[in-house]
Amino acid sequence: MGLVDNESIPRRKMTLFFLIDTSGSMLGSKIGSVNDAIENVLPIIGEISDENPDAEINVAALEFSTGTRWLYDEPKDAKEFIWQQVEAEGLTSLGEACEELNKKLSRTGGFMSSPSGCYAPAIILLSDGGPTDNFEKGLKLLQGNSWFKNAIKIAIAIGDDADKEVLRQFTDAQEAVITVHNIEALKTMIRIIAITSSQIGSKSTSATDATKQEQVIEEVNKAAADVQGAETAAAPTPANGDSYDEWD
Amino acid sequence: MKELKANDSVSLTNGSKAKIIRELGRGGQGIVYLVELAGQKMALKWYINPPDKKFYKNLEDNVAKGAPSDAFLWPEYLTTYNQKNSYGYIMKLRPQGYFEFGQYLLARAQFKSVEAMINAAMKICEGFKLLHLNGYSYQDLNDGNFFIHPETGDVLICDNDNVFPQKDQSGILGKARYMAPEIVIGKNAPDKFSDRFSLSVILFLLFYGNHPLEGARVLACPCMTESYEKKFYGSEAVFIYDEANNTNRPVRGVHNNVLRRWPAFPVILRDAFKKEFSEDCLKNPEKRKIEAEWQKVIQQLRDTLVICPVCNQETFIEDSASPKCMNCGKSFVLSGILRIGTRDILLTPNTKIYIDLDNKPDIHVVSVPGDKYPVQLRNITSSKWTVETPSGKLKAIEPNMAMPVKAGLKVNITGTSKGEIL
Repeated sequence: MGLVDNESIPRRKMTLFFLIDTSGSMLGSKIGSVNDAIENVLPIIGEISDENPDAEINVAALEFSTGTRWLYDEPKDAKEFIWQQVEAEGLTSLGEACEELNKKLSRTGGFMSSPSGCYAPAIILLSDGGPTDNFEKGLKLLQGNSWFKNAIKIAIAIGDDADKEVLRQFTDAQEAVITVHNIEALKTMIRIIAITSSQIGSKSTSATDATKQEQVIEEVNKAAADVQGAETAAAPTPANGDSYDEWD
Repeated sequence: MKELKANDSVSLTNGSKAKIIRELGRGGQGIVYLVELAGQKMALKWYINPPDKKFYKNLEDNVAKGAPSDAFLWPEYLTTYNQKNSYGYIMKLRPQGYFEFGQYLLARAQFKSVEAMINAAMKICEGFKLLHLNGYSYQDLNDGNFFIHPETGDVLICDNDNVFPQKDQSGILGKARYMAPEIVIGKNAPDKFSDRFSLSVILFLLFYGNHPLEGARVLACPCMTESYEKKFYGSEAVFIYDEANNTNRPVRGVHNNVLRRWPAFPVILRDAFKKEFSEDCLKNPEKRKIEAEWQKVIQQLRDTLVICPVCNQETFIEDSASPKCMNCGKSFVLSGILRIGTRDILLTPNTKIYIDLDNKPDIHVVSVPGDKYPVQLRNITSSKWTVETPSGKLKAIEPNMAMPVKAGLKVNITGTSKGEIL
């Protein structure tokens, strides 16, 4: 080998998880938009991964309805992930989804083993309703898992029937739950959240006091302000002209 | 922030307008558009989350002062502060043929020669020397800042919106992997000393293809969280070849680049990095090398790089008394040595010699078979050399003419550098 020949610098792996509610109520344009949005954002994630000397980004997707199913047995490189259209039917086993996720968030028998190590994963949860199984049990398991504790967690509440409190418990931050009220907002927020979590999650941190989770939340909330039909958990600001200074 | 579309126009602070042609790409901070301004195609960086007024004012100042040198892809025009909910700046387009440093790290771009690699190192140092001389500090040096040409080693330094005056803060801290330990742990604010740490990380990555602080100890960490980063790049940073501490050595199978190149590149480079990443320098920012000292090391490195007369590949020669090629393993004889001050510049046919620190070669060692002097030095500068023979005769060597490699000849090349052939 010549003096200038080299192999790629070893990169850590960052896994982006999509947890998708495929219960009966998602039937129609909701599940259609989810399929569409994820299919379209994967190549962009692939590009982010490609240009990134810090980490390569892998994707894993779990759909949950009456049971749970991983789309593939192991995470795939974002560029190689061929999206399988998911269909909506059945209940909402979010508790079981949590248990499945907990199993895979490990090095032994899970997805987190890698010869050059990992960055903390990013987990995006999409749901339009509430869990029909034992969610608390599943969440408790996850909350004891170090990978989960350090993960970037964002949830999209699809429509007004979504149980925002459950999503808040999952993400452990009110501002990490974005509610969407129409199809366009759903597609846009999936895209923004996937890209932002990937960009921030797959890079060496900027050593500020804000954690990656906080940075993602901040950027996503800022972006959501420009999206018609997307609602953040921030307190509403007074309309122009209304002044509440005397209440300070 | 509103994204821009083709045919949108943005108003600039100098009163003119630039027209958007199309999007070129996007990063974490902003979107880059191809724009047309006064008939010229240029690039507009448009912020996704526009930073505060202080940042804008700094951009204004930088635009007014101009770039420290042409190595910098510098903001040239600024849009007015608040239009379409954001702002941006305009710079020259990146010329073709340059690749981002990250692409070299990912082994997708590769230097054509060691000479090009060394030129890149020299130019990066020169850029930072000038930046600091002009009172700026970078504060956010990382792999995304450099575009490098694989054949010439020419470097363009980009993302200069985070260049701030030295005692001032941009608020951007950079990436922990490239940040000085004292910044990672939050002890100091970024300054030229922390810039120099980042520079030495870039140089290490450039020469050895692996990160200087990532060895066995860091690899053993399964999940690099924010708090582990504070530890491994901050409070407990250990050089992979630290003399006193071997807990973080490179791992076979993972850190193959440095395992192969560390012994291959000359000892002057190893010693320079061992010192730079020693605990002493990690903990004491003011002990780090200044750019001019790095340039001296790189110059010494270059002085020992020759073309092997047997196999025609580049090789370093550390023992000039018994030269042996690193590639073909054959021993050979040097055509001569050009001694300038304390420098011993080794000569073999086809080797290019750089006398000063700019990246322009000054001498081409040529083989002239059949001639009384079969190896000669051709003047590839644009000025005249003066040669003095042992008997005191003076001769002029015009550009493109050559002088023999003959022991005892003294040559005056750039006016300040007087050399003698041994």
